[in-house]
Amino acid sequence: MSNIFAIIAPRLLGPALVIGIALIVRSYVSVGDGFSAGVIVATAIALRYVSLGWRLAERSLPILRHAPIVAGAGLLLALATGFAGLLVGDPPFTLYPRAGEPVIHIGTLELISAVAFDVGVFLLVTGSLVVVVHHLARLAEDPT
Amino acid sequence: MPQSADDAGPLALPDASAAWSRLLAWAAVAIAGVAFAISLAVWLAGGAAVDLPWAPSLGLRLDLSFDGLGALYALLATGIGLVVFVYGAGYLPLHLHHEHRPASDGRRFWPWMVLFMGAMVGLACARDLVLMFVFFDLTAVASYFLIGFDRERRDARGAALMALLVTGVSAVAMLMGAVLLYAEYGTFSVPLLAERAVPGTATTIATALIAVAALAKSAQVPLHFWLPRAMEAPTPVSAYLHSAAMVAAGVLVLGRIHPLLAIDPVVLDGLLVVGFASIVAGGLLALAQDRLKQILAYSTISQYGYVVVLYGVGGEVAAGAAALYVIAHGIAKSALFMTAGTVIMSTGEDRLSCLGGLARAMPGLALASFVAAATLAALPLTIGFFKDELFFAAAVERGPVVGALAVVAAALTVAYIWRFWLGVFAGQRRSQATAVPALLVVPVGVLAVVAVVGGLLIEPFARLAADAAGITFGAPVHLAPAYHLDARPENAMALAAWLLGGLVLLAPAVREPVVRRVARAGELVGPRRWYGLLLRGVSRMSDRIHASEVRDLRNSLAAVLLPTGVLVALGFLATPTEGSYVVGTVTAGDLPMVVLLALAAAAAITVARDVGRLRPVLALSVLGFALAAVYAVMGAPDVALVAVVVETMLTLVFVGVFSRLPPVTGTLRRPGRRGRNIAAGVVAGVSAFAVIWAALSRTPSGRSDSAEQIRLTPSAHGSDVVTVILADFRGLDTMVEITVLLVAVIGVASLLRRGRSW
Repeated sequence: MSNIFAIIAPRLLGPALVIGIALIVRSYVSVGDGFSAGVIVATAIALRYVSLGWRLAERSLPILRHAPIVAGAGLLLALATGFAGLLVGDPPFTLYPRAGEPVIHIGTLELISAVAFDVGVFLLVTGSLVVVVHHLARLAEDPT
Repeated sequence: MPQSADDAGPLALPDASAAWSRLLAWAAVAIAGVAFAISLAVWLAGGAAVDLPWAPSLGLRLDLSFDGLGALYALLATGIGLVVFVYGAGYLPLHLHHEHRPASDGRRFWPWMVLFMGAMVGLACARDLVLMFVFFDLTAVASYFLIGFDRERRDARGAALMALLVTGVSAVAMLMGAVLLYAEYGTFSVPLLAERAVPGTATTIATALIAVAALAKSAQVPLHFWLPRAMEAPTPVSAYLHSAAMVAAGVLVLGRIHPLLAIDPVVLDGLLVVGFASIVAGGLLALAQDRLKQILAYSTISQYGYVVVLYGVGGEVAAGAAALYVIAHGIAKSALFMTAGTVIMSTGEDRLSCLGGLARAMPGLALASFVAAATLAALPLTIGFFKDELFFAAAVERGPVVGALAVVAAALTVAYIWRFWLGVFAGQRRSQATAVPALLVVPVGVLAVVAVVGGLLIEPFARLAADAAGITFGAPVHLAPAYHLDARPENAMALAAWLLGGLVLLAPAVREPVVRRVARAGELVGPRRWYGLLLRGVSRMSDRIHASEVRDLRNSLAAVLLPTGVLVALGFLATPTEGSYVVGTVTAGDLPMVVLLALAAAAAITVARDVGRLRPVLALSVLGFALAAVYAVMGAPDVALVAVVVETMLTLVFVGVFSRLPPVTGTLRRPGRRGRNIAAGVVAGVSAFAVIWAALSRTPSGRSDSAEQIRLTPSAHGSDVVTVILADFRGLDTMVEITVLLVAVIGVASLLRRGRSW
């Protein structure tokens, strides 16, 4: 494996995370959504697996071991966002604030529940893809 | 690497995991206790109801009502649940020890038990047919994991599958019935349907379909065969499943939709026939069994036959009798199952022929189960007496034939239940009995006390039954069971049943050949045999399809693409094509797109031509990136972004998977196939080309969904249409899609690593 790849690949995760967050935060006003963000972050993680091997990759970033939980949490978050409306008597997948209601701003950040849904999708996609990469990597290194 | 507790084996902190498992057991007991207390309080307070719109456009509502019927089954599920869970807290550690499994496996047991109870309570309160279907299936799922709890044993797995298939497949009939009723009357709500429904073929078919699902769940002939096999489950599961949960769910549904069933007398007559057939078949087969839990399982089939008969009879008295019957049976049957479990645990024997004379070794258990058996046999001073009193009263009302059959049914019950009790506790001592923990005896005693209290003070139970019957009957029901010391028909029938049952019991020489022949006939032509044949046939068919699918991917692709291509060609021959193909103009501004498309075309040709593995994959990714660039040029940045990230990931996965394949030796292509492949590819390609060209030649019409969505996007507080569509307009679709994604990933992961999730 070339040196350039070995040096660059592990360092791509930071930029990928920044891009991912940017995509989610800006998703409602410009290109990108939780799915793309998830795949980008997962690709960066996959490159770590390829360059470091699964043992080192997971030892240096222990959160990777919890990928199934991350994926499950993402699904739960998306479900919770989607069905939260039931608690106040709205139909499911009513997103807040509703049409015509004012949006709460923190600086230039707009708080809308669709972003929570997108974060759920992001976590689920990242977690699922890391699970698949983990299994492929383990199988590749010690086939049992 | 942290290991999950499964892989850790017995070395990893057995004490901690056993304590955790014990804690879980008592947590389940606490949940059942609290649920029982709440149910009791709500019932005494006069009920409660929740009604939320669930999917209003489909007419689905979260309509839960804690009415009389809901109270009866909720109290049964939580009350018997409480007792059974206490028993299970003592039983499960011993069971796991016997099966050589770690004590920590309790965590695979209790959550399902609690879910089982929760689903039952939900079903008890549900008044919306689709909601009922959901809870109905939830009980089936929970029972699948509980019956198959000893998953190392093949019998347990087969039994769990059988229960799931028989009750789950029949449950589809319930959904069909619900949809039929919705199509006819525009609602899924049972009370509304009861107001709107009128006699007619559609109503009859729909209610009969729902009844079929309920009857399969209640293990009625001819769909009864799953229940005796379900005794593979650990005893607490059997005790619960037979008395208050799974099997009771069927008659609960019958009780809930009875106003609909009663519209057509043919449906009620059908119930009558199925009920009596189940009473007789269950009773005779119970007399033929040797294993304790089998006797009780066939007895359950027979006992729920009584309830089905009562629903078939219909009317005020029968509705009350059915409700009281469910209470009395639940108490007695769970006590008897727990007795069987304790006896098996103590002696290690599960056959009547190897047991006997245990009354001296276990006097407490003998006394408690005597009361339970007396309850089932409807002796006075137990709550069971009143269940038969009302049963006989309802049967007499219907006519002499039904009355006579009722006496025969009760006589069979008397015979098999005393054969069970006497066989275990009386006569010659045949086996050693080791001491058992108090937790395996006390719950039986508690239920026996309840049965006797019910025999002395029937009012509260009668009130509960009357409340439930009010829902079944559709009007308030007056129920006054009591002891009458006179020669009324109910008393005469009870005496006749006891006498007849005693005769059957005391004449084994006459009884045995008859029941043995019935059992043999059942094995030869019974529905269980058909189930086996059907299952094997389906399995073989699936194997064959699978084999033909995996043998050659190209064949499967061709099987889809070729007919599509031919059909499209025929379509074009049949329709005028004039004006549908527009050749646009190419300007200098389109140059980037033309170059990119040329690159894509070249990559496509490389994919098709190249041998080996890696190069076609790389060429495919070039094709994908080129198309992504085309999207970007055409002003669809969202699609372009998704295309790029997906293409990157796919290439990585492709390379990862291909690195696992054995190296290529010789040529990958079989020589004879080449011509066929090219022909299939050309046909498919040309047809796709023709269709897409035609589609692109049409100018989009003014009003479309996409225009509407673009118009609405600002009101969703967004400006990126694609994201707003994904997260808001089509949020439910996205939800379902990501759920499917997670399920697929779990599947892939377990295939890759043989069932380990990490």
